[in-house]
Amino acid sequence: MAGEIGERGRHKLSPSARKSNLFIEGLWDNNPVFRQVLGICSTLAVTNLVLNTMVMCAGLIFTLSLSSATVSVLRKSMPRNIRMMVETLIIAFYVIIVDILLKAYWPQMSANLGPYVGLIITNCIVMGRCEACGISSPPARAFLDGLFNALGYSFILLIIAVFREVLGMGTLLELPVPFFIGPYWDKWIIMVMPPGAFFMLAVVVWVFRSIQMKKEVTAK
Amino acid sequence: MREKRWFAPVYMFIVTAMFSSVVIGFARRTQNLVEANARLALETAVLQVIPQLYSEDASRLELHRIFVEQVSEPTDESGGAYVYKKDSRIEAYAVPFSGRGFWATISGVVGVKPDKKTVTGIAFYEQSETPGLGAEITKPAFKNQFPGRILAQKAEPLKMKRPGEPLAENEYHAVTGATQTSTRLEKIINDALVLWREKLEKGGGTN
Repeated sequence: MAGEIGERGRHKLSPSARKSNLFIEGLWDNNPVFRQVLGICSTLAVTNLVLNTMVMCAGLIFTLSLSSATVSVLRKSMPRNIRMMVETLIIAFYVIIVDILLKAYWPQMSANLGPYVGLIITNCIVMGRCEACGISSPPARAFLDGLFNALGYSFILLIIAVFREVLGMGTLLELPVPFFIGPYWDKWIIMVMPPGAFFMLAVVVWVFRSIQMKKEVTAK
Repeated sequence: MREKRWFAPVYMFIVTAMFSSVVIGFARRTQNLVEANARLALETAVLQVIPQLYSEDASRLELHRIFVEQVSEPTDESGGAYVYKKDSRIEAYAVPFSGRGFWATISGVVGVKPDKKTVTGIAFYEQSETPGLGAEITKPAFKNQFPGRILAQKAEPLKMKRPGEPLAENEYHAVTGATQTSTRLEKIINDALVLWREKLEKGGGTN
C-alpha cells in the first residue's frame, strides 16, 4: 500500500500557512482516512468494539508522532537510498514497544487485539507521514504533524466503532445501550463482521466528503 | 560521506543495532511479567472450571495461591489433566485443550467431575478470534452452556448445534456468525477429551 503515498493530498499553501494549519490539516482538510484514504486496513479490522478501537488509536498516536519525529531527527544523516528501510525500522521499534507494554501490563487487551498491534507497522499512514513530513521537516513539526494525523485517524475510527458496536451488538464499551440491546431491535450481526466495516467506512467517507464539498462550494 | 558506497550498509547496521538493543533490553525487563501473565491466565482458567475452588471476587494473587495449594499439575495418572484432590481423593479434573482456531491458537480447559462425564465448565486462556464474533466463546453467554453437560461415551464427547435448535445432554449452541471458530473449537475440545479418556484408561487412573 506504500505506493499510495505521494504528493496526493498535499495542499498548495505557503509554508507559514501550512505550519499554523497543521491541526486542521491533520484532522480535517487532509484527514488520512477520508481525504487520503490511507490506513484503511486497520480501520476495517479493529473497529467492531469501541474499547479495542480506543487502544488501537492510542497505539497509533504514540507510534506515528514519535516515528515521524525520530525520522526527522535522523533525516540529515540518513542516506537517501535506504531511507525507507530506516523508516520501517523506526516504526517497527515503536510498535514493538507498544506490543510489549500491552503484553506486560494489559494482557487481556493484548489478547483482544491479537495481531493488529503488530500490523501498525504496515499502516500506510505511518510510512506516509514519515515520507511526506518527517523526512523534510524539523522534529517538532514532524511530531505535531504525526500527532494530528493520528488524531484525525482516531476520530474517524471511533465514529465507525461506535456505530458498529451499537448497531451490531447493542452495547457501547460493553455496556448495554437502551433499545438497541433488544428485544425490539434485531442486532445487525453484519455490522460486527468485516463486511460491516466496509459499509460503515463508505458511509462515513461519503458524509464527511459531502460536508467538505459544501464548504468548498460556499468558500468560492 | 553520505555518498560513499560503504556508508549506507554501515549506517543501517548502526541504526539497527541501536534500536534493537533498546527493544531487547525492554523485552528482557518485562519478560518475567509477560510470562507471569501467561501463567496466571492458565491458572485462572483451570480454577474457573473447578467451581469448588473459584470465586469471582478473588484477586489474581489469591487465585495464584489457591492454584498452588490445591491443584496438582498434569500427570500420566490423571490423563494429562490438572487435578483437584481433597484427602487424596480426586474431586475434579481440568482437561487442557489447545489447537488452531480461525486466526491463531485457542487454548483452554474443560472441567470434568470425578465421574469423568459431567462437565463443570469451560474457560479459555489464549485466543485471538474475531472480537464480537469468534471471541464470543469467551463470554458467559457461551461458556455458561457447559456446566452440567454430560459427555457422550461414544464418538464425539461434545457436539455443537445451530443456535435455536433443541439440545441433547452432550450438545451446546455454536456462536452465530462464527462458523469457523465454532467448528474448529468443537474439534479441539473433542480431540483433547478423547485423548484424555484414552490416557486415563491406559494409565489405570481409576480411583
